[in-house]
This record gives sequence, structure tokens and C-alpha cells, in this order.
Amino acid sequence: MSYLKSRSLVTAIALALTSPLFAGDDPVHERHELMEGVGDAAKPVGQMLKGERDFDAGVVMTSFQTFDEASARFGELFPPGSESGEGTEAAPAIWEDRAGFEEALAAWADAVDAAIAANPQTLEDTKPVAGEIFKTCKGCHDNYRIEDE
Amino acid sequence: MPDHAPDPAAGERIFWAGGCASCHASPVDGKRAKGDDKLLLGGGLELETDYGVFRVPNISSHPGDGIGEWSLVEFVNAMQRGVSPDGRHYYPSFPYTSYARMPVEDVMDLRAFLDTLPPVEGRIAPHSLGFPWSIRRGLGLWKRRYLNTDPVTRAAAPTLEEHGRLLVEGAGHCGECHTPRDRFGGLVRERWLAGAPNPEGKGRVPNITPGGKTISEWSAADIAYYLESGFTPEFDTVGGTMVAVQENLAKLSEEDREAIAAYLKALPALH
Repeated sequence: MSYLKSRSLVTAIALALTSPLFAGDDPVHERHELMEGVGDAAKPVGQMLKGERDFDAGVVMTSFQTFDEASARFGELFPPGSESGEGTEAAPAIWEDRAGFEEALAAWADAVDAAIAANPQTLEDTKPVAGEIFKTCKGCHDNYRIEDE
Repeated sequence: MPDHAPDPAAGERIFWAGGCASCHASPVDGKRAKGDDKLLLGGGLELETDYGVFRVPNISSHPGDGIGEWSLVEFVNAMQRGVSPDGRHYYPSFPYTSYARMPVEDVMDLRAFLDTLPPVEGRIAPHSLGFPWSIRRGLGLWKRRYLNTDPVTRAAAPTLEEHGRLLVEGAGHCGECHTPRDRFGGLVRERWLAGAPNPEGKGRVPNITPGGKTISEWSAADIAYYLESGFTPEFDTVGGTMVAVQENLAKLSEEDREAIAAYLKALPALH
């Protein structure tokens, strides 16, 4: 039993050391995963706004919290030297116009903070606050993301 | 010319459907114009293509530098026949082969709207094209082959699809990027909207027939929502040159976007 336990612990440590997701030294991969998570969280909220899914205030708040965590971490994942690799869609503008990029990220975080504070319980109340968040997605992608073609 | 009183408000819809500003708005600090700057049509954008560099002209209401002095007939001839007031052929980088399919009343309304926009000073330098494209007279032959007013798809009665056809095949000129071209730069109608190499760089412009890899998964409502909000059904955002197009189409009515979606869904699926 203890043997099994320790073996799974070893496996876990080995995974943690080799998987870039946990390593903290692969920002290209980490920011990609983080943004994938943001997309996954945006989808159910968007479907509710489009009327394709029943409204659920709990799901909405979970998504807002995912945005909150991601927006707090995202800016750190573009250190010098991470401009390329692994098919990154990060545009050179992130490094050339850091202030503008930080501003776009701040707009995202602010919109998320406002949405969490609003704590919407109906679809009608969700629409404006979620709309403000979604606007900031596009605002940043337009200037700081290149196309994967 | 038909007996039609030009309506600038109706013309504004055509202006956004056609995306005139995407090319003709003067770039601001080397970037494409945003917000109200899209209404300053002084030109100056440079399109770098395999044929050479096309420089987009001033179409503001400025009398000397823009098109303020043009008569309505001259404007219609430019838009739908590709002929300048002094009788020269325009290069089809100005997509008059699409605009030829617009109802002439829409073109008249568009002019009325353009007249309401501010004059912008400044003449733009001519295109710099490679041989043989530099021989402007050759365009006469080109037009015989590629310029006509026939609908690309068979028109039905006045349905939502037909409403969408007018927008997609006419003012919207979607085919100019989404349809491949032959070696003379004419659109290959058999491959209508089936995707094409990006005319301004690397990559491809996607197939938007129901056979397209991505769009085949989308409902008509998804397409309309994408054109309105810029979000795909996966909640990724619109990218590349489509950003400007989507922002223009967001200014149309919901019914216009539904019509575009209905038209695309009714196309034959090409792969």
C-alpha cells in the first residue's frame, strides 16, 4: 500500500517536473493553456447570451472567476525571449508596445472585476457586464495577436 | 439612370456593407482608421500584391483631390463599369466587378451618403505595378472577360437568400477575397467563395461555402452572431483582415446579417 502510494507520488513528481504546464519555465505553453481555459469559460456564457443554453448564474460566476484568475496571471507570461516558439500567436506588438498591451490587459481585468461585483442573477443583468468583458477580448486580439494560418 | 431620389441614410447602410472605409479611410499613424476616422476617406493605404503596389485614392468630397466634383453618372460609371470620369479603366483592385451586381439605386444612395462626409485634402500617388499589369489599356480586354452583371448564383424569388445574395455578391464583394483567381486575376466562378490564397500575404482566406472546414459546423445563427459580435461559436474572436469586415457588418441590421447567413447556407458545398 505504502509502496503503491509512494510510487504514485513519484509519478506525480516526475509529471510535475516534465510537464511544462507545471514547470513555470515554459511561458509560451502556459499562456496558451491559460487562454484555452478562458475560451472554454467564455463559451457557456456566450451560448446563454445567444439563447442557446439555459441561464445559470452559477456557471456565469464560475466563468467570471476563471477570467479573473487568468487576467491576473496573463501579463507575466510574456517575458523577453518568449516572442516565438510552439506556434505562438503572440504578436511582436506585445514587446514593442508593452504599455499598450498592459493597458489592454487592465481593461480586461477591470471589466471582469465589474462583472464579479455585479454578481448577476438574471440573463438580463448578465448581458451588459459580460458584453463589456467580451469587448476587451477583441480589443486585445486585434492588436496583440497574429493569425495562425 | 432610374427615377430615384438618392437617400443618404440608405446610402450609409451600403457604405458599411461595402466596407468602403476599410480601404479608403486614411491610415492613422500607419494603422487602419478606427471609429470616426473611418469617415475620412482621403485614401493612401498601400495594397502590396503579386501585381505590384496599389495605392488607394482619395474618394472624400474634396472638390479637387477627392470626388466632390463628380456627377452622379460619373460615380455610377466608376462603381459599376470601372471607368473614371476621364475615360480610363480602373484596376479591379477596386472591386467594381462585384459592384456591377448592385441595384443602381443603392449606388445612387451611396453617393448621397458620401456627399455628407468631410472633404479631405491630398492627392495619392499612382499605383506601382509590374509589367504587363502596368499597361492600363489591357484592362479593356480583361473587362470583356470578367466584368458582367450576371448573378453568380441562381437568384430565387425575393427571399432572405436573395436579400443576402445582393449583399454578398454585390456591395459586400465577399468573393473578391474568398474566391480564387485565375492567372489573369479574374475570379473562378466554379469555385465561388470556396477559399483562396490571401491576396496580401501568406495563408489562405477560408472556404465559406457549406463545404468549408470550419463553417460547415456553424449554424446560420452562428454566422449571423459572428458577423455581429466577432465571436466564433467556440468563442474565439475574428482575426486578420476579417476584423475590419466584421466591424463594418456589425453596423448593418440583424436582418441583413441573417440574410448573409441564409445565402451562405444555401450555397453548394464545395471542398
